[in-house]
Amino acid sequence: MGERSFAEDVKQLGYGDGQILHGEGILAITKALLQSGVSYVGGYPGAPISHLLDVMADANESLLRPMGIYFELSGSEAAAAALLGASINYPMRGAVTWKSVVGTNVASDALSHVASAGVRGGSLIVIGEDYGEGASILQERTHSAALKSSIPLLDPRNSLTSFARFVEEGFGLSEACNEPVFFSIRIRACHMRGTLRCKDNVRPAISMRSPVAQPSFSLERINLPPFTYTMEAKKFTERLPAAQRYIVEHRLNEHIPGSESRLGLIMQGGLWNTVARSLNVLGLGDVHGRTPVPMLILNALHPLVPEELIAFLRGKSHVFVVEEGMPNYIERELKALAHEARLDVEIHGKELLSPHGEYVPALVVGGLRKFFTLAPPSITTVTAIEDRYAALTAHQEKARGYLPQPIDKRPPSFCTGCPERPLFSAMKILRGQDPAIGDTHVAADIGCTTFSTQAPFNVGNSVLGYGMGLASAGAVAPNFGKRVISVMGDGGFWHNGLTNGVAGAVYNKQDSVLVIVDNKYTSATGQHHNPSTGTNARHEPTGMTIPQALRGVGVKWIKTIDSYDIGGTIRTLREALTTRVPGLKVIIASGECMLEQQRRVKPLARKELAAGRTVVTPQFGVDPDVCTGDHSCMRLNGCPSLTLRESPDPLREDPIAHVDASCVGCGVCGEVAHAAVLCPSFYEVKAIANPGWWTRFIGRLRRRVIASLAPA
Amino acid sequence: MHASPAPTVLSLLIPAVGGQGGGVLSEWIVDAALLDGFPTHGTSIPGVAQRTGSTTYYVELYTERGAEEPAFSLYPVPGALDVLVAPEFMEVGRMIELGFVSPSRTTVIASTHRLLSIHEKIATGRAIYPQEALQRAAQAASHRLIAFDALVLARQHGTEANAVLLGALAGSGVVPISEAAFRKAVEAKGVAVQSNLAGFDLGLTLAHGVDAAGRAAAGAPSLDTPLARGAPAAALPADIRSVIEQMPTSIRELVVHAIPKLIDYQDVGYARRYLELLEPFVPREGATAARLGMGQAVARYLALWMTYEDAVRVADLKTRASRFERIRASQRQDAELVVTDFLKPDLDEIWGVLPDRLVRPFARWAERRWPHGRPTLGQHVRITTVSGFLRVWLLARLKRWRPISYRAREEHAQIARWLEAVRTCAARDEALGAEVARAAQLVKGYGDVRRRMTALHETLLAGVRRAAAIEERHGAGYAVSTALAARLRALVLAGPDGEARVPATISAALDGLEAGDAAGAAERLTRHV
Repeated sequence: MGERSFAEDVKQLGYGDGQILHGEGILAITKALLQSGVSYVGGYPGAPISHLLDVMADANESLLRPMGIYFELSGSEAAAAALLGASINYPMRGAVTWKSVVGTNVASDALSHVASAGVRGGSLIVIGEDYGEGASILQERTHSAALKSSIPLLDPRNSLTSFARFVEEGFGLSEACNEPVFFSIRIRACHMRGTLRCKDNVRPAISMRSPVAQPSFSLERINLPPFTYTMEAKKFTERLPAAQRYIVEHRLNEHIPGSESRLGLIMQGGLWNTVARSLNVLGLGDVHGRTPVPMLILNALHPLVPEELIAFLRGKSHVFVVEEGMPNYIERELKALAHEARLDVEIHGKELLSPHGEYVPALVVGGLRKFFTLAPPSITTVTAIEDRYAALTAHQEKARGYLPQPIDKRPPSFCTGCPERPLFSAMKILRGQDPAIGDTHVAADIGCTTFSTQAPFNVGNSVLGYGMGLASAGAVAPNFGKRVISVMGDGGFWHNGLTNGVAGAVYNKQDSVLVIVDNKYTSATGQHHNPSTGTNARHEPTGMTIPQALRGVGVKWIKTIDSYDIGGTIRTLREALTTRVPGLKVIIASGECMLEQQRRVKPLARKELAAGRTVVTPQFGVDPDVCTGDHSCMRLNGCPSLTLRESPDPLREDPIAHVDASCVGCGVCGEVAHAAVLCPSFYEVKAIANPGWWTRFIGRLRRRVIASLAPA
Repeated sequence: MHASPAPTVLSLLIPAVGGQGGGVLSEWIVDAALLDGFPTHGTSIPGVAQRTGSTTYYVELYTERGAEEPAFSLYPVPGALDVLVAPEFMEVGRMIELGFVSPSRTTVIASTHRLLSIHEKIATGRAIYPQEALQRAAQAASHRLIAFDALVLARQHGTEANAVLLGALAGSGVVPISEAAFRKAVEAKGVAVQSNLAGFDLGLTLAHGVDAAGRAAAGAPSLDTPLARGAPAAALPADIRSVIEQMPTSIRELVVHAIPKLIDYQDVGYARRYLELLEPFVPREGATAARLGMGQAVARYLALWMTYEDAVRVADLKTRASRFERIRASQRQDAELVVTDFLKPDLDEIWGVLPDRLVRPFARWAERRWPHGRPTLGQHVRITTVSGFLRVWLLARLKRWRPISYRAREEHAQIARWLEAVRTCAARDEALGAEVARAAQLVKGYGDVRRRMTALHETLLAGVRRAAAIEERHGAGYAVSTALAARLRALVLAGPDGEARVPATISAALDGLEAGDAAGAAERLTRHV
């Protein structure tokens, strides 16, 4: 499973006391889970935490199973959250992970229940906060989910050592307050490379090797009245106070005093690195983050500890809160506390930074500069700070002037040879050729298929949620003048599209067309296995198929097509859009994820070549003297390997099409040219390496005949 | 940097395009720095940008060996970036735009080759970001620039572009990492070690060379590997040569390419016909820029139009020995090749090669029967087999009957209409004539695309002639007609969205003229979109 082999990382997960692990932040977290004695690990993949699941899957046989640790790739984030149910009744430590905020949204029903019932065993939820630059999802933060369910929230500062420490503290905190704990980590922190001094892994007391013997029952853990009221009360009278005690006793938050005792900076732990560097470039701190300005680093964002905050505020005239995301709970809490305690301190925050967006250095440097203008420190002057700021930013206005036009955006798109591209080529061709049926509403979905909404296809009118394509067409279909189409990847189908989408549409007699893009993996997260892959993440066969599932919920009209056959796809789409058969029509567009296929095929081909065996490699090309450079093919294709170059004809001003060396020979450019009747410029060349004597003989014969006729 | 007294944090940013190997490059740098004992960290934001989107990798290195780790930042600070290592050239522009590159601090090490964005590819005309503009911006915005085409170099030497860039980084001296450590890091990765080390050495030598030349960039910017441009044939018939020699240089430069193309397309007689048609539009040397521009446009587009790609031409090009050699050169030398062509002529293209008198009645009927999307004859021809080759080769033998074909009559009638429009417009105003001549740039493509483009070309001519007729009445010049012709051409070349705006643009211009607001109409047409 996964994008690459994790053999080296798996080896490091087995390290013992004192050994040094080299790797990314997420690997340190994974290792710390094993050092904390977890009995089970689960989750749903997604950037930036997929790596945790990939490595665990690869470590399953060699490391987890011998320790009795259960590992699963859960069906969805809701299923992952429900895994924590094991820790409600039994003192087992467990960890689950997903991409947030979307995963947290999916999980929230199970999460609320776990958080109400409370846990006996430490439960950690590692949430990859996919926020800011490089994010692939809508922009919300997880903080409010923690608040509403009374789940403690950790946001530690960024170093592998800090991550490992806070994983262990997270379990301690969870057991101290009987609540699951959120461990939040940002994208860049997940991928941050560094080192960790390891500890021995801890074998869990309860495990697959030493299972629970007796069920544990208590009405107090069942979410029904009257105990739901007791649970709610306990959260605020026992659990959160216990969490606050733990936070203080274990010094999870760091109060670093400084000579500028009238001033103060309060920040989320995960932003400490950015604040430290920003102070450094403004001349107010050294490269190690030491600064005369007192700091309160909140590695635990929820619950806040009022005494800790007031102690920091006391005696200060100006405090600056660097808190990413809205609403600004911390800043508001601080202002309320200062007011209640009648402290004479000015608290600044969002108004000096930005109400939204990732707090990148440019923003934080600008905010700090404004703050220190309002509240000048004694060790330097405002002028000195201004000079430093000017030195950093003076070139910026000029820089834009150097460029005559804005730099083009690069929207994400399908990979070279992707089996999903030809489907959307077919939909776009049909839209142009037969707008009466083809130019209709398309409900898109989450996953690689979302890229259909981008150039050059612009197919897809809405994106609602993972596996929600069909459900989101529910009220469009009956209110739209044409039959509508929805799209769903196989990942989304198994995540919840089967129930919320397909079963719901059959049940409600929706007359529409669903295209399931079955590339055999949940590819957008990194080729993760799903039920129709054939095997699960532990490489055990599953025997589940999409058609079986569809028939099971009552779908009658099911057609499976080869997604690379654009002509066939257009015919099938046309049929589904025009047939008199009422109800849901499902087209399964089938083709294996090309990234995964190439990972398998390429090394194999190299081996065969080296062994002198025949290997056939297809590639496509464009005849440069036949192409007239109208670029129609580009608008129906968008393959990264299909690009432009100058025409060999000096009379032709416009660049012509060109297939570069990265082509994998999927054939879509030829099929598009054929289906849309574009031009005869494309050709396929099959290179037969190490050909047999017969192939060579025939080849020679053919070349001789052709050479005798072909003009120069 | 080596001798700097106080240790500092060096900040290196690698802006890349998804799937380009930026990750490996950043890992090499981090590993090499760690091997040399410098506290170092690296991070990245793959996310969805993993595939074709722009993505960045970021490395920080503390210049004191074995020291306590500094507070590493996970982000570069705009204006405080020391090195930008860019495997693609437009990403340099993006980083300049974002303010990361500072003329007082940032060394830019970049490959000048381009991976085109989808927006650059899907325009009907040329929408590629001007390379010289990127080059100028990189020069002006950086403290020091080392730019060369790492991809071409890598291909020539059988290595990878990111290995060449790594070598250039080592050779630039902006980071204190030793060459030995870089080599060890490449070796430790264990992937294609020999070729990557060769690439590293290449980059190293290159960066040393650039050092001596100061800020100068080595290696020409390129749009992929340039193809050999057609060279003008040496031996032309004497009468043709003497005609060409009379022409102004700027036109002669085009005609020397046009004549061999026309002879290759049909025969010498066809080339003479071209010169006859061109003759009225060729000014004297030293004529006004507008007249010269018109002459150039007619010389260029008349040659392209007269060599329209009918089925016979395609068959001819597809069956040439030079084509098979070109394809062979792109593949492993010891492999047997099977080449398949995707041919799908539509009805127009099929009867187009038949004699005009034979097919005209049928063609007229079919045009009414199938106004859009004529029936097609799709076939995948294996042209490296004898039977496949013969099928296409035989089609090419129809070349000698081309002059009497239906398609020839149609194309030449359209050419005549265009030249007539150029002539009448030029008689009114030179600049207008030049713009109308350039309208023929739109005529390209095959099948439906060609019919659409030709129709747009005729729409342009009709709209501009109407505008010119109104302006003639007003007697105040032809600014609106000229701007209209230029604007319509630009719209069509921008792509389908632009095409959709053609009718409204014409109406607005004509309405403006009718209302007596020529200034406003011209202003709207020249306003930047």
